[in-house]
Amino acid sequence: MLTFALDLNAYLPIGILIVMALLFAVVNLIGTHILGPRRHGERKDTPYESGMDPIGSARKRFNVRFYILAMTFLVFDVEIIFLYPWAVTYTKLTPGSNDAALFLCRIMFFVATSIIAYVYAWRKGVFRWD
Amino acid sequence: MVEKLWFLIPEMIVFGGAVLVSVLGLSKRKVIRDALPIVAGGSLLAALIVTPMLYDAEHVAAANLLMGNLGLYVKVVVCGIGILLVMMNTGLIDRRLESAVAAGRAKFDPISATRGEFFAFLLLSLTGLMLCSNANDLIWLFLALELTSLPTYVMVAMSRGSKKAQEAAVKYFFLGALSAAIFLYGFALLYGASGTIVLTEMRDVFARQADFGDVSNLAIVGMILSILGISFKIAAAPMHFYAPDVYQGAAAAVAAFLAFVPKFAGLLALMLLLSTIGWENHYRFTEIGLPPALQITLWIIAVLTMTLGNVGALLQTSIKRILAYSSIAHSGYMLIGILAGPGLGMSAVLFYMLAYGLMNTAAFAVLAGLERSGREIETLDDLAGLRQRHPLMAGVMVVSALSLIGFPPLLGFWGKLYLFIAGIEAGHILLVVIAGLNSAISAWYYLGLVKMPMLEQPSARAETVVRGPSLWPRVAGLITAAAVIVVPLFTRNLLKASDAAVADEQVFVTPDTDDSQQLASRK
Repeated sequence: MLTFALDLNAYLPIGILIVMALLFAVVNLIGTHILGPRRHGERKDTPYESGMDPIGSARKRFNVRFYILAMTFLVFDVEIIFLYPWAVTYTKLTPGSNDAALFLCRIMFFVATSIIAYVYAWRKGVFRWD
Repeated sequence: MVEKLWFLIPEMIVFGGAVLVSVLGLSKRKVIRDALPIVAGGSLLAALIVTPMLYDAEHVAAANLLMGNLGLYVKVVVCGIGILLVMMNTGLIDRRLESAVAAGRAKFDPISATRGEFFAFLLLSLTGLMLCSNANDLIWLFLALELTSLPTYVMVAMSRGSKKAQEAAVKYFFLGALSAAIFLYGFALLYGASGTIVLTEMRDVFARQADFGDVSNLAIVGMILSILGISFKIAAAPMHFYAPDVYQGAAAAVAAFLAFVPKFAGLLALMLLLSTIGWENHYRFTEIGLPPALQITLWIIAVLTMTLGNVGALLQTSIKRILAYSSIAHSGYMLIGILAGPGLGMSAVLFYMLAYGLMNTAAFAVLAGLERSGREIETLDDLAGLRQRHPLMAGVMVVSALSLIGFPPLLGFWGKLYLFIAGIEAGHILLVVIAGLNSAISAWYYLGLVKMPMLEQPSARAETVVRGPSLWPRVAGLITAAAVIVVPLFTRNLLKASDAAVADEQVFVTPDTDDSQQLASRK
């Protein structure tokens, strides 16, 4: 019981990850502080240097293309979310069985629909940025 | 698993059509863009032909659905009327863009073209409706209902480029989301009460609960919430308020779609859900029929719906609003069939849905086929003296209005007759009397739709009514009007088909032998 609770070896990778993440952040902050050039100015000091102005009314018009692009991203995002659990369970099915064939057909169908969605977005001119 | 996929072949065909249409709609060639309705109608026709081949006794038994043969009737009817609805929507979308491109004033730009998407949404909604008929679990049913509804919100917004259409779409969307939340809550409670989402298993659980007392209150509450949520889809009181505004805002062809597709889906969902709680299991309490609480709920909803619908229609001058209120009233009539239950009642509902789909499409086709200075005709005055300039369209309007009243030789009469017979057989005599009174009230405004085109002299306003640019909505009107006259000859065969659709010996006639043995051993 006690040994189980104290067995922290399993958490070692997570510990390393946390330390690395912290180090990465700290080293970057200090690094830019020491090495980076310093120029000040109205534009330079804003949080998003080449982005939008964070001060003022939030009811601003956005280009609708941002929205369409985000939706295109969603196509692949959702696809990945479904592919992972599918890949994990698929190996547990007997190879060559009916179920395996059905599962394969299903995911192929799903991938095909996402590809068509991509083709549709492309033909619609979503990626033309003019 | 595979057994259930077998029955989804028609849905897959229609879905394939939807995908194809959405991509083809972006083509630079006008020929392909103009062929979109043909592709959409063709996929529906293919599904229509394939469906009867799929339903044989062996596969139906293997799939073990709550109502195994329901899909056969539903899919054939949906594909058939779907083709008519596609015809009605031909030439509606992108009219301005296409005429500008044809005149060389603009270059075709895929990003502003919406015709492909529109037909894709139309087909997806029909797919959802067809999926409802094979539903055997709550998740499936929920997804099918939402697949039916979600595309319709977009279709309303696309149908006319006006602010009115957008307002209608937003209203429809938010109220639709509310209704989805309500029936989803009901589904959750049903799951809590039965411990399963599979409808056939739910039916067994509820039968067992009824045997040891009564169905749990949780299930009753869940069922009432589901009924309330679904009453939005069928435009029944107290969730009917959106209908007139939305139908008025949408183009006539889309309004015809709204009056048929979500309504059919909602009625199928009601039939499936109420079948799980059973009509036969409650003989101890109510002789035959649903648990008392559900009976009272449905009874009140039916009476309110038909009365509010008919009285509301009396006050309208806009034809689309009249037809919207009439659609509400007809939902009320169909709830009589739902209350009457399996066998006659449900079969009458299925038959009535076919009749309503045809006669309602005919009425809207007149509005979709005619126009006045580039806009749809709106008010009753626009119809004045229609017989002089557009005799065929006037005839279609008269036939559909008479059929909607339930005038004897026409299809609507037979539909109503079987609904009322089913109601009387099930002992709902008062309800049938109220429905009869309502039919009398409805005659007032339907006869207005007959009088205006036939008896009135054309006004200056009505003189400017001309044919719409596309021939197909008027063709759809003629076909449906002809069907309203001719189909009654086949009433017997159709009723046989709808009887077969709801007949399920396992559910209604004899209890499952395994189950009764299990119950006996438990006792």
